Amino acid sequence: MSEKKSHKVFVDGAISPAFIADSISKHSSKKNIGAHSLFLGQVRDDKIDGQNVIAIEYTAYREMAEEKFLEIREDAFESHSIICMHIYHSLGLVKAGEISLFVFTSAVHRKDAIDACEMIVERIKKEVPVWGKELMDNNNSQWKKND
Amino acid sequence: MEINILAFGQVAEITGKTNWSVPYVKDTGELRVLLEKSYPRLQSIEFAIAVNKKLISDNSELNDKDVVALLPPFSGG
Repeated sequence: MSEKKSHKVFVDGAISPAFIADSISKHSSKKNIGAHSLFLGQVRDDKIDGQNVIAIEYTAYREMAEEKFLEIREDAFESHSIICMHIYHSLGLVKAGEISLFVFTSAVHRKDAIDACEMIVERIKKEVPVWGKELMDNNNSQWKKND
Repeated sequence: MEINILAFGQVAEITGKTNWSVPYVKDTGELRVLLEKSYPRLQSIEFAIAVNKKLISDNSELNDKDVVALLPPFSGG
């Protein structure tokens, strides 16, 4: 049984460790799952020209991003043998050290969960219209670049 | 006849607004020229265009009331 219904991806501010723990515990009733793969993106305190990044402010083209998340979701179920998957992405302010992206895939076997999780993370970075503005400790800011 | 424009990220910082309309132009190439004339700093940055939420790569024809989004390079995650 695949759980293909989707949920809201965007969350206001940081994704809390308690929320992540709760997501994991919700899967204990699905006993056909043998492997979970989780990706957690954390805001890094990069040093740029002697200044520290203290937070990232995320904005998005919400309507287009939601369509893109749905497309990535459908493709993941199509291309990988996974039982369920969840994506959560922050909008607004996330401080250095806090979590801004949570991708969670579950499968019968580890390889499917790991491969699907990686594919989803890479596609989110490349294809979803979200922007991060890095805020520095001297009130300067610059637009984040994804590698 | 008009085209609705949405601007995000660095593009919105340059245009100073996120949501406005311009009189109809026939395609995205013409729109880009028009926008770069109104906001010359757009010439110095990279941005993609989505028409009605679909990213376009070539010059695309526009219709009345299309929503054109100006998208700087994505940096989510």
